[in-house]
Parts: sequence; C-alpha cells; structure tokens
Amino acid sequence: MKRNHSLKLIATAVFTLITLQFSSVSAQSIWEGGDVENGQSLFNANCASCHKVTDEVLAAPGLGGLKDRWSTSDDLLVKWIQNPQEAAESGDKYIKSIVDRYVGTYGWMAGQAVNADEIKDILAYVQNPPNMDATAGDDSLSEQCPTVDYSTDDSNEASSTLWFVLLFILFVIIAVSASGVKRSLTDHIAERDGGELLPDSSYLQRFKAWAWNNLVFVSLIGLFIVAYGVTVGYQALMGIGIYDNYSPEQPVAFIHSVHACENEIDCKYCHNSAYDSKHAGIPTTNVCMNCHKAIKKGKRTGEEEIAKIYAAIGFDPATGTYVDGDGNNGHSLPQASFVGEPLKWNKVHNLPDHVFFSHQQHVSVGGLQCQNCHGDVATYSVGRIAPVEEINGLVDKFPGLIQLSKPTLTMGWCIECHNKAEVDMAENGYYDEMHNRLKTTLRGNEELRRYLEDEKITVKELGGWECSKCHY
Amino acid sequence: MANNKIYWSGLDELEGTEAYQSVQGQEFPESQSVDEFISDERHSSSTTGRRDFLKFMGFSLTAATLAACETPVIKSIPYVNKPEDVTPGVANYYASTYYDGFDYANILVKTREGRPIFVKGNKASGKAKANTRVIGSVMGLYDSARLQGPMKGNDVVSWADLDAAVAASADEGRTVVLSNTVLSPSLNKAIDTLGAEHVQYDAVSHNALRAAQSSFGVDAVPSYDFSKAEVVVSIAADFLGSFLTSDYDADYSSLRNPEGDKHSKHFQFESTMSLTGTNADVRTMVSPSEEGKVAAGILSVLNSGSVSGLEEGVANAVKSAAAALKAASGRSIIVAGSNDDDIQTIVAAINQKLGNYGSTIDLSNPSLAYQGDDAAVASLVADMNAGKVSTLIIHGCNPAYDLPNAGEFISGLAKVKTSVCTNGLADETASRCTYIAPDHHYLEGWNDLSLNAGKIDIAQPAIQPLFDTRSAGSSILTWAGAEQTDWYSYIRTNYNGSYTSANMYSDVNWNRAVHDGTFTIDAASQAPDYSATVNVASALQNVAKRSGGAMQLSTYVKGAMGVGNHVANPILQETPDPVSKITWDNYVTMSRSDMENLGLNTYLGQADAASVVKVTSNGVSVELPAFMQPGQKQGTISIALGYGRGANGENIGKAAYQTGENGETLSLESGLPMPIGANAFPFTSGANYDVQVEKIGAEYSLASTQMHGTAMGRDSVVKETTLAAFLSEADKPKGEASWNKAPGLNVHEDVNHDGVIDSRDKKSTNAFDLWHSHAVEEVGHRWGMSIDLTKCTGCSACVTACHIENNVPVVGKDEVLRHRDMHWMRIDRYYSSDYSLEKGAEEGVGVISSYAKMEDPSVNPQTVHMPMMCQHCNHAPCETVCPVAATTHSNEGLNQMTYNRCIGTRYCANNCPYKVRRFNWFNYKGHGKFQNFNPAADSLTRLVLNPDVTVRARGVMEKCSMCVQRIQEGKLDAKKANSAIKDGAISTACAESCPANAITFGDLNDKASQVRTISENNRSYHALEEIGVKPNIFYMTKVRNVDTH
Repeated sequence: MKRNHSLKLIATAVFTLITLQFSSVSAQSIWEGGDVENGQSLFNANCASCHKVTDEVLAAPGLGGLKDRWSTSDDLLVKWIQNPQEAAESGDKYIKSIVDRYVGTYGWMAGQAVNADEIKDILAYVQNPPNMDATAGDDSLSEQCPTVDYSTDDSNEASSTLWFVLLFILFVIIAVSASGVKRSLTDHIAERDGGELLPDSSYLQRFKAWAWNNLVFVSLIGLFIVAYGVTVGYQALMGIGIYDNYSPEQPVAFIHSVHACENEIDCKYCHNSAYDSKHAGIPTTNVCMNCHKAIKKGKRTGEEEIAKIYAAIGFDPATGTYVDGDGNNGHSLPQASFVGEPLKWNKVHNLPDHVFFSHQQHVSVGGLQCQNCHGDVATYSVGRIAPVEEINGLVDKFPGLIQLSKPTLTMGWCIECHNKAEVDMAENGYYDEMHNRLKTTLRGNEELRRYLEDEKITVKELGGWECSKCHY
Repeated sequence: MANNKIYWSGLDELEGTEAYQSVQGQEFPESQSVDEFISDERHSSSTTGRRDFLKFMGFSLTAATLAACETPVIKSIPYVNKPEDVTPGVANYYASTYYDGFDYANILVKTREGRPIFVKGNKASGKAKANTRVIGSVMGLYDSARLQGPMKGNDVVSWADLDAAVAASADEGRTVVLSNTVLSPSLNKAIDTLGAEHVQYDAVSHNALRAAQSSFGVDAVPSYDFSKAEVVVSIAADFLGSFLTSDYDADYSSLRNPEGDKHSKHFQFESTMSLTGTNADVRTMVSPSEEGKVAAGILSVLNSGSVSGLEEGVANAVKSAAAALKAASGRSIIVAGSNDDDIQTIVAAINQKLGNYGSTIDLSNPSLAYQGDDAAVASLVADMNAGKVSTLIIHGCNPAYDLPNAGEFISGLAKVKTSVCTNGLADETASRCTYIAPDHHYLEGWNDLSLNAGKIDIAQPAIQPLFDTRSAGSSILTWAGAEQTDWYSYIRTNYNGSYTSANMYSDVNWNRAVHDGTFTIDAASQAPDYSATVNVASALQNVAKRSGGAMQLSTYVKGAMGVGNHVANPILQETPDPVSKITWDNYVTMSRSDMENLGLNTYLGQADAASVVKVTSNGVSVELPAFMQPGQKQGTISIALGYGRGANGENIGKAAYQTGENGETLSLESGLPMPIGANAFPFTSGANYDVQVEKIGAEYSLASTQMHGTAMGRDSVVKETTLAAFLSEADKPKGEASWNKAPGLNVHEDVNHDGVIDSRDKKSTNAFDLWHSHAVEEVGHRWGMSIDLTKCTGCSACVTACHIENNVPVVGKDEVLRHRDMHWMRIDRYYSSDYSLEKGAEEGVGVISSYAKMEDPSVNPQTVHMPMMCQHCNHAPCETVCPVAATTHSNEGLNQMTYNRCIGTRYCANNCPYKVRRFNWFNYKGHGKFQNFNPAADSLTRLVLNPDVTVRARGVMEKCSMCVQRIQEGKLDAKKANSAIKDGAISTACAESCPANAITFGDLNDKASQVRTISENNRSYHALEEIGVKPNIFYMTKVRNVDTH
C-alpha cells in the first residue's frame, strides 16, 4: 500500500536525518542537484503539515514559485528553515518582509531539524512536484474500500404486487363477463327450446348462488385469503420498531468508507466520547477541521460538501484562516464571535427515551467492537442501521463478534447479547471485590456455583437482564 | 469558550415556542366538568349513540397506535467548536457560591452539556451547606420571566443608552445606592468608585443583634459555633431554618449524637412551632411579649435571682434552662430571634456571663452578613419623599415589597428623577424604576463573596448568560466611568499584589481558588473586649413592663420559601413546609383553642377548607386562612414572610400566582393575577403585641401533604427514647434494648420453653419467609440507606434535591389538594399525643374512641421528622401484585420500577405499606393544567431536567429509585478505574444534600462501609419491621435529651 510505503520512507528519512545531522555540507547552490524522491519523503515528514508545494495556503503560505520569490542568500534560506528566529535576527530586509507579512497570521515556523543537503532535496521536490490533483486520488484505494450501496430495492416487490392486483381485476372482469355470456347463452337456449328462462337476479344473488354451488372451492379460497391476511398483518406488526437499513439523508453527504477505510481513521478519532460518555458523539466541526483545514477537496464530492463544514465553523479556504464575527479572516483558530449555522445531523440510532444506553459501558468496560452493533461502517456512506444478519456475516472479517438473531436495536437483541456475552473480569479490582464477597459467604458460594454451571459468567448472570440496568 | 449558540443545540422548541406549544396541545381543552356535561339536556337529542361512540373510540385508538409507530426524526447537533472540558453525556462540576441577601452557601454546580442542572453544598469549601432554598435556586436560572435585556419602563433599551442616561444622572444631584448587605469586596469597592452614598438593608433585619455586640466594640453579627454548644437555648430563633445565614444544621447535628461523648440539650422558647422548635428537647410556649422576660429570667437565675412575670410552667423551664446553661458555661449558646434591642442586650449579657464569647461565639472574626441599617433606610425613604434624591441605584433587594413601609418607598421612588434597578426580574421594585439593568443570574456571572473576613468565596459562571444581562458590578463601574468595567478582570485585579499574601494574580493560585471556590487572604481580625460591661439595667426594666393584648402576632420565615426570593420557584412552592406540611400557601397559624373560640374550622381536607381570618395590627391588616398549629401558644398567631409577591401583577414568574382547577391563573376582582398568600412585611415595623383577629366568613382551601399529625400509638414506625433510657441500655445488642426491641410474631410453639404456649412465645420476623429470599445479602451489592432520626431536623433539603435530581413533576396546589403530589421522598412529621390506650382504659373510653382521641396532638407536642421514601424491601409487597412485572427486584437489593412496562393498575401502590408509590395521573409535561409551573412543560425551564432520568408518561407508577442513575454511574466509574467502589463514592441526591448528615447511603454488603456499621448499631430498625418486608432502609431510633440532670 502506498501508505505503508511512505511510512517506510519516513522512517528511513528520520534515520538518515539523525545520522547526517552533523555531517558537513558542500557549498553548491541549494536549488540544484537535490534528490526529488528523498525530498518528497522529507517534505512529507517535516513540511507537509503546514505547507503545500503549490500556491495554496495550508497553515502557512504555499511553496510554489519559492525559487523566484526568494530574493536573498541561500544560506539564509537554510538558516530560515533550521531556525527562523535566528534568521530574522540577521536583519535581512527580505526576511524582515516575510516576517512582517506572515508571522502575525500564521505564527513562527518551528525550526526544522534538517541539514543543508536535505534542504536541497526538499527544494528539488518543491520545484518538481508531482501532479497533485486531489480529485484524481488513488483508484486502487477506492477499489479496496468500496462504498457499498445497501439500499434494498423494493420497487420490484411493489410492482409485482401491482401486477397481481391488475391480474386479479382482469380475472374478475373475465369471470363476470363469462358468467354474463354463459347466462345469456343459457337464456337463448332456453328461449329456443321453449324452456323456462332464468329468474331475473342481481350479480350478488347470482354470486351467492354460484358460491353455494361451489362451496368447497369458495371455502378454500376464503381460507387462503384469511391466512394471507393474518400473515401479512403479523409481519407488519412485528416490524414495528425495527429500523433495519434506516439511513436518513444527512446535511453533508459524508462518506464513511473514504474516512474509515481509505484513510484508515479510527472510529474513535471522530466518535471520541464513546470511551468516556454514554454518547459516542457526532464529531464536532473542529474535529473535522483537524484534517479538512488541509483537505479542501473531496475525492468524490469535490468542494461542495466540505464547504458546508467551512460555513459552519467560519473557515476561509482561500487564505486557510478562520473568520471572525465581523467577517475578517486571518485567525489561526476558530472564532467564538463567528456565528454560523451548525450542522444538524439526523440521528440514525434512535433509542426510546426510557432506555439508558452507555457507550463507555460497552466499549471501555465491555470491550465490544463497534462493528458488533453498527456493522462494517467502513463500507457505508452516511450512517445506517445494519440488519443483524449482515452483522453476523462480518465475523470472518472481525473475529469475536457476538452472533445474534433478533433485529438490531430491539430490546430482544439487547438482552440476547446480555445473555451471550461473557464478562471479562481479568485484573479488574471491581470484579475482584465482587468475587471476594461471593467466595467468603455460603450464599455467595451457591451463587457462584450457579453462575459457573455453564463455565462462563455472562452479563445476564450479573444482573444484565434486570429492568433498572437500562430503564430509569 | 464555546460558541454560545451551542448551548441551545437541542432546543428547536426555543425558537418556535408557540408552534411547539400548539403541537403539544392540551389533553382536555374544555374546562367543562363531567357533571355539567352529563346534565346537558342537548345530549338526549344527539344522534351519536353509545355504539357509535365506541366505534369512534376504537378507531381513534387504532389510529393513535399506528401513529405512534412512526419513526421520529431526531436532530443531533454537535458542537461547532467543542470546549475542551465538555464531553456530551458527562457532568462537570463547578465550585461556586450562593448569596441572595438571605442565604449564603458554598456550592457545587452540576452541569450537563453546559447547562446547570443541580446544586449541592460544597463539602470541601467551608462549613456552609446548601439548604432547601439554595438547592432549589437552580430553577431560577431558567425562569421564563427573567428580563432578556435592559429596560426603560416597559420598553427595551440598549445598554449604551441606559448607561449614558444613568451616568449623566449620577453626575448631578444626590446619588444613593440602595442594596442588600453587600458581601462582595469588589462590589463594595466598585460602589466606592461611584462616590455615592451606600445604604444597605436586609429583608429580615438583625439590627438589634448587631447593636447588642457593640458593647464589646464590634458592629457585626457574631459567628456562632454550634458544634461546641452542649446546651443551646433559643428564644424564638429559628436557627435551623432561617436565622442569619442559616448554616448551623451541620454543627448542631454533630452534637445530636447519642453514641458520642457529648449529646447536646436544646431548649426552645417560642410562640409558634418553628422548625427549630420541633427539634428542641424542651420546648416551652411563650408569647412574643414574654420573650424578654424569659431572657431576663435566665439572667436573673444565673445571678442567683428569681424569675418574675412568667407563669409557673414557663418559669420552671426558664430555671432548668438557666441551670443547664450554667453547668455548660463556655460550652453553650443562647440566641434570640427577635429584632429587639432589649432582648438582644440581655442575651448578650447572658452569653458574656457564661463565658460563651470567645469559645462558642466569635466576635473577633464575625459574620459580615446583615450589615443593614434600618435607620439609614428610613431616612432615605424620607429623603426620597422630600425629593432630595435625584438618582437611586437599587441592587439585590426588593424594597417595594419587603420594607415595612413599602408604600412610602414606592411613593418616594416616584419622586426620584432617575432610578435604576439591577434585579433580574421586573419585580415590585424594578418595575417601578426608570431603568432596569438586569444582573446575571448567580449561575451566570463572576463574583467574590466574603462571609468572614479573610475568606473569599468565588462565584463562577456555570453557563454563558442566557440573555443580554450584565453583572451589576460591571454596570456600576460603567456608571462610575471607570476604565476597567469588565467584572471578571476587576475582581481578579482586586486580589493582585498587596491585597493578599498569596499572589492571587498568578494563574496557578487563581485557578486553584476558582477550583476550590474559596481562598484565604490576610485580614485583620477584630479585637472585641469580651469583658466590657453590658448595661442591661434599662433593658431589664423595659422587658418587665411588656404585656400583650388578647392576641399577639409573630412573623417567621418558612423553610422552603425564605423571604420571597423564590416565590416563582415551583419546586420550592411545592416542597411542603417542614412543620405544617402545607404547600403553595401562606396562612395564619393559631392554637386549637383560639380557633375553636373564634368558630374556625380546625379540620382541613380536600373538601374541608380553612376559614379565612382578618388580622389587624398597628393599622395594617391582611386576610389569610387560619391553620391549626399544634404547639402554637394560645393567644398568639404567626404569619410567614415572603408571600404576597407580585400584588400589582408584576411579571415575576407564572408560578408566583395562584392557579385554578384547570391550571389557569386566577385573577383578583381588579383583574390582576392573584398572588399567593399575603405580604406580612408591613408587620415587621415593630412589635405586634396586640392584634385583632376576626373571622370574616370566607373559606379557602389549603393543600397539605399530611393531614393527620400523630402516629396514634403505633410504635413500629417511629421509635424514640430519652437519652437516659438510651444510655442505660447503650451496650445491649441490636434488637434487645427496651427502646428498640426487635418485633416478634406469636407462634403456636413453645419458643421460650416454659411448658405453655401463650402470647409470650414469639419468634423474630426474620424466622418467617413467605417467599424465597432474593440473593441479595452478602452477594454482590446491596444498596442501602440509614436515616438517623436524632440528627434529622426535617429541613426538607432532601425533598427538594430529590425533586430536582429525578425530574419529579410539579403538580400544583389543586392536585396536592387531591393528594396527588408526586414527591418521591416526603418527610412525615409526627406530633406526640397526650392520649393513649392506657389513659382511655382508665377513663373508661372505648378503644376506637381512644384511637380517635390519639389523633389529636398535644397542645405543645414533641415532634419527630421521618424522611420516608421507597424502602426497597427485599420482600416487596408491590412486586408480588404487579400483573405485568413492571416492578421487580434487582440482585443489588433495589426495588426497580420499569415505566415502559407499567400499565397503571395501581395495585402496587395499594399494597405498599409505606405509601411511597406515586401515580402519574396526567401527562404533566403537556397538559394545560400544569403549564404554569411544571418544569417539563416550559421550553426554557425544561433545561433543568436531568437527562439521565426519564420524564415519566401519564398512567405509570413512579417512586424512589435510590438514584439508580447515580449507582450505575458509580459502578461504571469503578469498573473503568479497575477498582472496587469506595465507600462514599456513590451518594443519592437526598444523602448528599442533607445538611445534618442524617442520611447515609452505601453498600450494605461492603463490611467496611459506614452504612453497614450503622445498620448494625443497636438504634437501627426498619419501619414496620413486624410485617417482614425486609427493607434496605434503616432508621435510627430518635433520642431526646429530655431527662433532667
């Protein structure tokens, strides 16, 4: 993978850096003769968090056209990179001009531990950057990390029902017409033969007469209709409160697969309160900005979706700075005076008000994997509720997932898990104390024996099926 | 800090209140009663038959059911720029300080997602603990009547315009600042900058107490240390409820400890039954005009003289009190509540004679509260009326309501050219001022407060200001034209450099101080001369001359209501008065015999209204219902202060006015909303030794949560004994002492092996089990609680704390009248009765009649307060009768109530022997009847709700959960910290708010826990132990120090 490859390069670079720290520098022009490849890895390791190689501003001015701009000595450039304050003390006019212009907005650059040779490599890279079109991306990554379209297509089902209804109506029309034809034919025969005409009667009377004559057939059809109705009704009722595949539209077309799979961002980076709070938390906009201060263009959605984050927090992507309440940019941190429209997400995993659910209980203490309840979110676009069958199928990818059968987010599902899940008590002082109490009393011994009948202690045995563990 | 809009992220309703309200709708919008409806003739001609009606109902039910199945779309709005220390779902606590001119407390504010939701005493900072009023004060933050910005009359004005006008006015003519006692050193300094006169007054004046200390060279009210007072004598001082800054409960209770070395003895002399009086060991009824003679009598006995001018019973009590005081010289306290120079001078002389100054009473570092000057405010009112004041700045007080001569103040205010008030509500005073410059709520702003010199307590904001308000200090600095007007910087600068030995300006020290809520500075202490002569001669002469008419009046302050600052606080209004148990009202307390003489109704019930009387004294009269108060001295009446707010229809909050049967605000004939009770402050101008009380024939319903007053001879609910009896059997094991005998049940078995099976053959209730026992004892946790009836003062802080913590609905007076109050925790108050079955047998009265007579409390009864909540029985009778298993037992000993299972049969409540289960008769959050006061019904006030506790729906039972949300949180914290739960780490709302430390919560299976130790104490028992329901709540026998020694 590209990522691993660049990690290796960085490691190598750091190693070289340390070894070459004190080696002598040859006095050539630093704008020539550098190693682009080494320069790239050095740039990524040291510079890329603030500078871009283009004109674009990140946390500091872009380095595009640096050679043309740099109007003072090469030595000063080396010094500027290694120790900007010291370079500024030289009193050089150009240096003073850039200090005046940028330090107020972006602050001092940290001195970089690179030697002159390495700076030469970096400059070689800066002058010859690869094509940096962000939208181009890396197709191989997208292939490895597909965004699965989970939307179940129920239009077929609906149209087939429609066909059935149409066929049924057609059938009724044919049956009625046929019976009419038959009746008039019978009448004609009777007229011709001088027999008795059929009595004049309504459709309903005639249907009743027909039904009485075909009692077995009509009963079977009736039974079938009733059975069908009961089944459909039962299924509808059992579906109440089940929200499999619920995936509401969101204010931002967020793509989990790009973040969690392609970029390998851990779930808890964004949903970071899962460890400490009952809420996993929707990432706050300032967390988005940790990356999106630099990444201004989405791979699939371009600038449009990311612009919504900027609008919420007051970020001006052109200058790479934050805007204050008066509309002035140039701030390196979000401004409290800026009042924008926050992102209003639609909650996906809704529990009723009378249910208390704590993420930290399940994640921090229980050690559950996110996927056990949420499925393989790294393949989703926006959030959705994964059906239990789908989660069960993930066990090969995520070993240790507890296999359940009841629909996701129903109480049956919760308590099924509480019945199956074993409690990990190893080296936890809380459980040690509980264990001591069980060991030292007769009653406790009985309880302990009961717990251990199946050789495991489940959440249920410790009270996980009790009402006020979740309802209060 | 956070972007301030974030705080509103969950509140779409806030913007569209009206729309939201209409969606909420009313359940029964018609105000027609059922009787009227049925009797309507038109219905007989209606074409809708019964069957049609049922069809409609059936359809509606189906439709409603299906509609309920829709997924609600819930918006989830994260912070834009999350404050570093806020994690949604995790509570933050901030140390702060409460002061409103009457109460003072070091507090901890619990916030969730930036919203303060709970206030409790800060045990780490000083001894001041939060009382009922302070705990309830968090509601005031979300009062929708709060001013949203500066006002000029009824018009909104900008701060700039207001500042310009006030500053201009202050530059010319005489400017006066009128305030309550300012305890903020910074605010005092800011007022000095203004260069204006500063007049302070207190709603309840303690001028006399302060003046009495001047003999010792100190002009301040003393600091009392009740933790050293082995003998306490109080002459009408309600020091457990409302005396000075009322923070003496903890110290007082520390000596209500029969197991300890010392157990204090408390004498109370008073006319009405105060909260303090209910706790006294020896309570003597005296009329207000006799209070001075009691003090004089004690001084006389100490000087080996005699007691004169008092009836024999009182004189004997005075003698024994004096004897006890003398025996505990230097370890006693005598206090008087009266604002009477003569009485306070004599009391000071007694304390001096006993050597209490310098030991239990401190004047070297006195309390800085109650610096009000009655004379100064009187002359200010005169000057105002004479047109001699051109600018009046009013801060932190409500003189148009609580001055005895409020009428004169109001007329004088009209003559002041520019008046400006910093009150947060357009109350009686503010609404009459030219400008209102609303101050922050105390939870929104910075302040420094100093109750004792050398100790500065910090009040810090726990939330961004909700509205466009501004710190009063900042306002005053602005008007003074100061350069630095930012209040926070001003306070900080104040503690810079020379002001203090610690360099407060360093961030480390300051942050430490803010974290703790307090810090100390160098301050010179006063040098009182405790040996100075106290001249009591004229005082003794004066008090001896006093006599009263047929009826005398005293005013008092109620535990939950205070001096009226919390009148719109529905939770405090609904907290029953600790003594009378009446909610939402003000009344005249009278003795039974006086009421019978006047022909007034002494029995209150849902259909039995109280009789209204007209009380006139010194030309002031009020009309109030009469309430029969056991322990009220015959020939005296008492009225509580703090009621009758908003008499002119001021917008001081919806809950401040009376509501009717359908929740509508009731109106006076004048069309103004009807205030609750009547204002008794006009009576405080002087002594009321001769008042007229007449029956006016009107009736008025009083809503009480407890109708009967006595335990009717039952000895298994409340157990009590005397100190001597306790000490004689102090070493006996639990269950054997005569005052706490374990109950036995008679069995047909020769238990005592005397060869006969008779009534003496009893077995412990533990020997019987109707059911299989739960695996609770010694297995896992067993949450339990113990309540020490000796320590409990009945102050009701726990009731209020429970109410707020658990989102208990406020139901209003009409529902309380129907006994549908929802308190999860109540305090049962039992009076002693003179009658007994034995006495009945002697007098030849039948058993049933004897019981009826035992319902009547004594004329001067002994009182016991018994906090009562779900007892979490291990053999709970409620659990066995629930048809749907909605109430079940947990393996941690909790009786669990599952709202979503409950179908509302109310079987459980019927089967509960403790009557602690409450039924949700209404959808309190949506029903129109409760819109005026139920916190969940108001889109702003609902921010106070605890997000960890369900807001219950209509038709379900609810009851004390032993704060299961806190237990679960505590267990989770322990598991995350890889450690056993430390004793004391989890506490219930009631236990942590108890100022007297009477309630202990913990794990009974933890052998080292405090609650376990207490449960094994020989004073511990279960209420109604004989029925064998095995509760997890223990009570401790009350011990009264009534024996003479």
